[in-house]
Amino acid sequence: MTNSPSNSPILAENLTRHFGEVKAVDGIDMQVNAGEIFGFLGPNGAGKSTAVRMLTTLLRPTAGRAIVAGFDVATHPDEVRRRIGVALQDAAIDPLMTGSELLQLQAVLYGIPSSQTKSRTAELLERVGLTAAGDRRVGTYSGGMRRRLDLALSLIHQPTVLFLDEPTTGLDPMSRLTLWEEVRRLNREGTTVLLTTQYLEEADQLADRIAIIDKGKIVREGKPQDLKAEVGFPTLIVNVQKDHQDAARSVLLQFGELRPTAEGTLGVGLRDGAQVVTDVVRKLDEAHVHLIHLEINEPSLDDVFADATGHRLEGDKS
Amino acid sequence: MSTVLQPVAASRSFGLSLRQTRAMAWRSTKETFRQPALVGPSMIFPIFFAALGASSFSRATSLPGFPKVESFLQFSLAATVVQGVLFGSVTGAAALATDIQNGFFDRLLLAPTSRTGILIGRLAGSAIFGAVQAAAFIAVLWPFGATIKSSFGGALVMVLSGGIVALAIGSLMSAVAIKTASAEAVQGTFPLLFILLFFSSAFFPRETMSGLYRNIADVNPISYLVEGMRELVLVGFSTSAMAKAIFIPTAICVVAILIALRQLRVRLASR
Repeated sequence: MTNSPSNSPILAENLTRHFGEVKAVDGIDMQVNAGEIFGFLGPNGAGKSTAVRMLTTLLRPTAGRAIVAGFDVATHPDEVRRRIGVALQDAAIDPLMTGSELLQLQAVLYGIPSSQTKSRTAELLERVGLTAAGDRRVGTYSGGMRRRLDLALSLIHQPTVLFLDEPTTGLDPMSRLTLWEEVRRLNREGTTVLLTTQYLEEADQLADRIAIIDKGKIVREGKPQDLKAEVGFPTLIVNVQKDHQDAARSVLLQFGELRPTAEGTLGVGLRDGAQVVTDVVRKLDEAHVHLIHLEINEPSLDDVFADATGHRLEGDKS
Repeated sequence: MSTVLQPVAASRSFGLSLRQTRAMAWRSTKETFRQPALVGPSMIFPIFFAALGASSFSRATSLPGFPKVESFLQFSLAATVVQGVLFGSVTGAAALATDIQNGFFDRLLLAPTSRTGILIGRLAGSAIFGAVQAAAFIAVLWPFGATIKSSFGGALVMVLSGGIVALAIGSLMSAVAIKTASAEAVQGTFPLLFILLFFSSAFFPRETMSGLYRNIADVNPISYLVEGMRELVLVGFSTSAMAKAIFIPTAICVVAILIALRQLRVRLASR
């Protein structure tokens, strides 16, 4: 599935965007291959949405360039717009219009002939499971229904590249799974997908490759399983009494490097693997450390994130 | 759930731009009429003021300088139309600001459409609402004594003029909306419009005014918008009436649209 840079659906070189003194996106390079789902993973304010807004022609880069669907976003924005579908964060949909009306408006905006507008609208409503709600005003839709309508709107012109900016933020688990399934199906049909997310599980489940972005820079990029393998050791997380933390830290350091964990807990990357856990417990006991809780985690994307940035993504989520 | 979509090639042509602008105007009009809380006041209050004026100022029609009228209501019909259209225009512009605030405007910008068409479509919705308002005010007040000397032809011109005035004021308010991206800021211009209306010849003829009030009314464009329509009501068709009712608002409209478009260009360029 690897493409040469010239035929990549999304290619960014030194893509940069500053807002005054703030470097929202700080010289990122990325290449998304045709037919893959590429995940942009990072906390709020990392620069994900700014990068997407540049790639979708809504924002001009301060420096660098981006080629999307074969066209430069700065010099041929209309050609890019004809070929991409975009579902932006927060599903900005007019609540006073019905789902059908919005799809028909979208069809006109994308130049779909009048003769096809109604059938295309019906097809898309069916596809996202909103046929029954098509004539209801969007203001009466649930969050999940709005997201599905947003997805349908982005598909009206059969885009070859689809941008989904935090498509499941704020959704309940069931709605999230439904949307994931639809994204997978679109991808199977040949659509290249770039999705931004702050959810580790979403990136892990959906993306063929991910880029971890923090403070405007891409700090890791690759297949989720490769990135996790790079981190290597499983993480042992222990919760001990507050006045035993220093003693516990000394013990844990004998088994590997300490890793960032949630406040009040200590984590260590076990260099000899999970089989040394009993040794750790014995040493903690010998040091008279009172153990409250212990768990062992195989490397996760959060470990990858922590390894790359020094802080955890899950702790940053609001 | 297993439909396979057919790809569609889009291109930008005059016909397509027209269709897109029409679709935007349609959306804007529907959106307006689906908000009774916004439509109601801009329809009811001008009629309320007209009724209040008719009952309170009927003796004013005998003042020196007051034109020959059948009733004060007949005199105030034009002012009622302009007043309603002014307030309605604020509603349309506030909706544009809301579109920018909540991200719907970005959705429109993501489409391969003319940026001018997006704005003109929104403004056309304001014009349609203005024309509907004018027709409604005429239909309601005519049976109560607001007779139009130029008859149905004049009424049609007034409806058209109402649409153009709505387009002109809507464009100016849209410039504010685009500049600030704040519905509150647009709504904040309402008192300014009210003051402009108050210091015009909307409620009394300029001939009955004196001093500073008269001087302001003389240079206030609202005076000329009202007087054009008023001439159609009180006198009948004339070149002067047509010029004031159609050409003056059209001229203001062209300038206002250019200001709004420039503001849009500035906003897009600053992205």
